[in-house]
Amino acid sequence: MPPPDSEWKKGSAELLVLSLLEDQPRHGYDISKLIQIRSGGALRFHVTSLYPLLHRLEKEGWVEGLWVEKAELRRRRYYKLTPRGRQALRAKQESWKDFVALVSQVTGIEHA
Amino acid sequence: MPDWKRLILERIAPLHLEPTGEAHLAEELAQHLEDCYREARSAGANDEEAYANVVAELDDLYPLREEIKLQGPATRYQAIPGRETRPAHFLDDLWQDVRYALRALRKSPAFALFVILTLGLGIGANTTVFTLINSLILNPLPVADTARLASLQTVGSHTTAKNAPLPLSYANLRDYQSRNAAFASLAGYTAPRIVTWQPAGPAQRMFAELVTGNYFATLGLKPFRGRFFLPEEDRVPGGPAVAVMNYASWQTLFGGSPDIIGKTLRINQIDFTVVGIAPPKFIGVNAVFGPDLWIPATMAERLLPNEMQNALSDRSKAVFTGVGRLKRGVSRAQAQADLTIIAASLARTDPSANEGHTALVGSLRDILFGSSESGFQPILFGSLALSMVVAIVLLIACSNVANLLLARSAIRRQEMGVRLAMGASRSRLLRQLLTESTLLGLLSGVAGLVIGYAALHLLLSALPGSANFFTPSLDTRVLGSALAVSLATGVLFGIVPALRYSRTGVAEALKAEAHTTGSSHSRAALGRILLTGQVAFSFLLLVTATLFLRSIGRAYEIDPGFQTKHLAVFSCNPGEAGYQRARTKSFYRDVRARVAQLPGVQSVSWSSNLPLWSRVVSGLEVEGRAARSRADKITTVVATVDLNYFETAGVKIESGRDFADSDREDSAPVAIVNQKLARDFWPGGNALGKRIRLPGQQQMREIVGIARTANYTSWGEPPQFCVYVPMEQNYADSMTLYIRSKGAPDSLMQPIESEIRTAGPEVLISSPRTGHEIVDNGLFQEKMGVTLLTVFGLLALGLASIGLYGILAYGVNQRKREIGLRMALGASQWKVAGLILKQGMSLVGIGALIGFAAALACGRLLSRALYGIGAADPVSLVAAALVLAVVALVACYLPARSASHIDPLSALREE
Repeated sequence: MPPPDSEWKKGSAELLVLSLLEDQPRHGYDISKLIQIRSGGALRFHVTSLYPLLHRLEKEGWVEGLWVEKAELRRRRYYKLTPRGRQALRAKQESWKDFVALVSQVTGIEHA
Repeated sequence: MPDWKRLILERIAPLHLEPTGEAHLAEELAQHLEDCYREARSAGANDEEAYANVVAELDDLYPLREEIKLQGPATRYQAIPGRETRPAHFLDDLWQDVRYALRALRKSPAFALFVILTLGLGIGANTTVFTLINSLILNPLPVADTARLASLQTVGSHTTAKNAPLPLSYANLRDYQSRNAAFASLAGYTAPRIVTWQPAGPAQRMFAELVTGNYFATLGLKPFRGRFFLPEEDRVPGGPAVAVMNYASWQTLFGGSPDIIGKTLRINQIDFTVVGIAPPKFIGVNAVFGPDLWIPATMAERLLPNEMQNALSDRSKAVFTGVGRLKRGVSRAQAQADLTIIAASLARTDPSANEGHTALVGSLRDILFGSSESGFQPILFGSLALSMVVAIVLLIACSNVANLLLARSAIRRQEMGVRLAMGASRSRLLRQLLTESTLLGLLSGVAGLVIGYAALHLLLSALPGSANFFTPSLDTRVLGSALAVSLATGVLFGIVPALRYSRTGVAEALKAEAHTTGSSHSRAALGRILLTGQVAFSFLLLVTATLFLRSIGRAYEIDPGFQTKHLAVFSCNPGEAGYQRARTKSFYRDVRARVAQLPGVQSVSWSSNLPLWSRVVSGLEVEGRAARSRADKITTVVATVDLNYFETAGVKIESGRDFADSDREDSAPVAIVNQKLARDFWPGGNALGKRIRLPGQQQMREIVGIARTANYTSWGEPPQFCVYVPMEQNYADSMTLYIRSKGAPDSLMQPIESEIRTAGPEVLISSPRTGHEIVDNGLFQEKMGVTLLTVFGLLALGLASIGLYGILAYGVNQRKREIGLRMALGASQWKVAGLILKQGMSLVGIGALIGFAAALACGRLLSRALYGIGAADPVSLVAAALVLAVVALVACYLPARSASHIDPLSALREE
């Protein structure tokens, strides 16, 4: 088995990205910085996994990507949550809570 | 500032993206990298450091390729690497699966080692046996298009009973050759005959086969060196003395020296020119044993003047076996019809030799393996039995491993549960698990090949080593079969546990402790069924091995009708050393006198027969008994013996007298017959004074004595007729010296041999052996079989008891809490141990009962190969049951002891 960290990260990647887009649209670099900062540097996404993930979420219809050009600034691609994405986020948050509960139950039994 | 976009475009070029998508992706990534670069620079990194940091982001392109190249929307991010199977991804996924499986194996090396050894032993046993079968049965003749080859032999045309086919006479073979329309080519050959090779050093024994000139062409062989026989070398009786040499003999006797072609070998006083070397691995039309030399049939009478007297002209002298290549489109049945007509016409023209006989066109197998009268082919039977035995061993190994995997499932269920929770699909899990077990199977296959190869060498070293024997070898077919067996085993022992794992529900797996769920009960039940089967099979093998062991023990107790304790024999062939009649006779007398003087020798005599190797002839006439037909011939052993033979060999004269000095060449011809012959033809008991005539002889012989019936051609054989004639009245140019010693004969062997050498330095001495060795040789096949059966039986028992131990130990571990509770409530250590013992031994009991029933059923098949005991021999059954019980008790005792040592407090606290 690979180290558990990376698995948790993979499984929860969608959840993380969707959560960060809940309040406002963000571009890729922003998303990756936020994940890194908020996790205290423990979680980090390489570009080669972050962008494919964003594109996949876009294909699912959960996020929408848009090229935005602002004066003085470079052209950037922003991602924002769609209504379907919001639903998916709710469902994922629920199942994550269940999962965490189950895991702590199991680990609780084992270590009690 | 580096050109990020260009760098990215270079990196993703191999992905062959659609151009617009590629440009967009490159731009997006470029901005990201640029941001990273700026950040690194502002944090104080120099240009190079910042650049290296950023470029590292692009190192792993795998996810990119995964996600974008195929542009297929994936709904789940999988915990196990890889996607659902798509052809383009199959190899990638497979490689990932294999890497993952290797990692999993490294994590539990003890488990992996156990599995690889267990399966390796099973696969190794199968490899050994298959190698034997492959060289012996599937591939016995290194010849093209064997399907069109057929055998030709003689068989009685009237007898209803199935008679063993007999050879053909040379003259008949010639007629069949010239008159048949079915064969494109028809050849003949004799069995290998012993000849004396006289090189510069001491004389050596060789085997030579007489063959017709078209022998090699019929088989479709090409010489390895030189050439085969020319048509003119097979035309005139006594024609050119040429020979073709066996490849292995050339290697062992002449070191493969290339100048062998054209060299002469002095064989039986004749200089033979070696004209060619047969191709490697060809030892004649026989699966097991072949000659050193092939010699044209026309040389028969010159090479072996005694044995082959008139062999080329006398139609009743049948020594050739026919092998032919059928014409295209002609079936064996059509050939049979054709040759039956020729046989009928031969019976009309030469009734004395041919009446009552017809031709038999058979399969190649009939002459390759040889069959007994009942059509029983020991080689085929033995191979079949052996392959069944090793298949059973492999099955036991597989079920052992499956059991172990089932037991491990408790640990891995949680792992699987986590994976399912992370989004892995069941089919991915199943594939991953099957990859693991297949990998284990393949690793075991490698171990099995090594074990099998070693076992084969061990087995071959037990065989009498000689260039004349077939040599089993590992070829692509063996490797292929080992690969197939390994893959099949991997799937076989992996599929059940894999299906079980992958059916696990997420919540169930994560929540439940294995031993409290219903599915663990059915898993345990499956484990018990597998185990019961293992015990049953091991018991079956044990019983079989014990039966054969007992049978061999009995075989040694068989009274062969001659003494073996104080016996030594030496075969001498003065005829082949060029001795004429007078010189041979004086040689016999001289040797007898010299050896008799040795201290420790009680008596000495000569006989034409080696014990258990007697020659059988057909056509004995009994005076006053009218043959019902010409085909109704009496078959008997004929032994030419010197004075004192009966005392030396320990064959008792029951009535009448022994041969005496007065029985000379010019006195009245006499004979001694055995009890079987006397009783069958003169049931009243008045055989003495009656007269018989040996085949090929003119005068009638008077019966002067009746000797006890003995074994003549094989150990423990059914009684057969035997006629003894005095040496003075029946000259033979090769005889066997019999010595009766006062003590054990072993220390006498060397002095006797040197006495014989002094009497006749040119004479070849062969087959020196003691009575004990005679019995050992007579029982060689049986002993080989018993050794193999015992080894495999013990292997099976060992595997099954390891399985028993494993499942009980696992059970104890699972029931710790229950056991702790019992002990807390007052159960004694003994009671707990008893509980586990009972559980284990009841499995053993059921398995043994099933095995017992199977053993009785198999016994019917085996009974024909057993001496003196029935297949349901109670001693064997009890002995096997005892061995099983002891081993099983040990296997059960260890877990039971550990159960009884459970500390109730800590066991209960664990929950």
